[in-house]
Amino acid sequence: MEEAGENHPALPANGGSDAAGEAAPAPAVSPATEEPHSETKRKIDVLLKAVGDTPIMKTKKWTIERTRTVQGLMDFIKKYLKLEASEQMFIYVNQSFAPSPDQEVGVLYECFGSDGKLVLHYCKSQAWG
Amino acid sequence: MDSESRNNMILGEEKFRYFCLEFLKHSQDIGDDWEWKNVQGEEEGYLSKTCYQTRVTKSDDGKKHEQEDEILSTITLEGDHEVEDDDNCVLPQGSLQSEVINYEYHVLYSISYQAPVLYFRASFLDGTPLTLDAIWAKVHDSYKPRLLHGPWETITQQEHPILGQPFFVLHPCRTNEFMSSIQGSASREGNYITSWLSTVGPVVGLSLPLSYGRTV
Repeated sequence: MEEAGENHPALPANGGSDAAGEAAPAPAVSPATEEPHSETKRKIDVLLKAVGDTPIMKTKKWTIERTRTVQGLMDFIKKYLKLEASEQMFIYVNQSFAPSPDQEVGVLYECFGSDGKLVLHYCKSQAWG
Repeated sequence: MDSESRNNMILGEEKFRYFCLEFLKHSQDIGDDWEWKNVQGEEEGYLSKTCYQTRVTKSDDGKKHEQEDEILSTITLEGDHEVEDDDNCVLPQGSLQSEVINYEYHVLYSISYQAPVLYFRASFLDGTPLTLDAIWAKVHDSYKPRLLHGPWETITQQEHPILGQPFFVLHPCRTNEFMSSIQGSASREGNYITSWLSTVGPVVGLSLPLSYGRTV
C-alpha cells in the first residue's frame, strides 16, 4: 500500500478472483469520508479483524460495495495477506456466525451493522483434513 | 476458561445436547425444519433436517457433470423474513433444466472426537442416491481449493452410527482446532452448534438463515 496514510480505502472493484492484481490490492481509490450520496448508498464501511493466529491486515477499515459477496471478500483478504490458495478463509459476523459464501456484504450490513459500519472477523483455518 | 481449553476446545455431550436444543428453539421460531430425533429407549439423539433443493443446470449434454454452472435454490420455507433480497430464484428458461434433490442432514455427537459431526445424504426424486463424485461436484467453489488438497480426508461415505445406513460424512478431525480459534477469541460463549454448523454447512449445500447469527 503506497498510500499508507489512507486508513480508509476502498476494495478494488473487480473482486479478488482474477489474476490481475496478483501482488498487492489496488491502492485506495475512494476515501469514505466525502462521498456523494449515491456512492455512500452503494458502499458500506467494513472493519476487518483477525481471529486467532490469522495474520492481521495493516489496513483494517475498508469501503466495500454492497453487492460484494462473502466469497469475494475472502478472496480479497487471502490475496492481501498473500495466503496460499489452498488455505481456507472464514468470515464471521457477531464473532461466531459464518454467513454463506454467496451472501452479499450489503445484506450482512443490514442485519449486523451498527454505528454505520459492519464488523467482520476473519479466520484462516484448516477446518478439514 | 483456562488457556488449555482455549487451545483445544472440546464439546461435551451434555453441552452438545444443550446447544442443539437452543439451536432448535430458533429453528422453530423462524420455521426452519430442524428437529431432534431421539434414539429409541436411550438418551442419545441427533439433529435432523430434510429439505429439497432445485438445481438448475444447462442441458448442454456431454459436459453436464463438469459444467456446474449451477444455481441452487432452496425450496423449503425458510421463514427468514429479514433476508428479503434473496435473489436465488432464477427462472429456468430455454436450455436450462432443473433437477430436484432431496437432502437429509444429521448432526450427531462423536464421542471419539468430542465434537459434533455432520452426516448427510442426497437423492433424486426417484430415490437414486447421489454418488460421492456428484457430491463433490456440488461443493461450493469457495471451499474446493482447500478441500481438494485431501479429498479423502474430507468427505467420505460411512455408516450412520445410529441408523446403520450409508451416509456421507464431513470429517471432524480438525473441528476442535478451528472451533477453538473462533470460540476462544470471542468475548462470550456463543452457541457452539450454530457457530460450527454455519461454518461447515455451506460446504455441502447447507446454509443457515442469517437470523441464526443474531442468536449465537
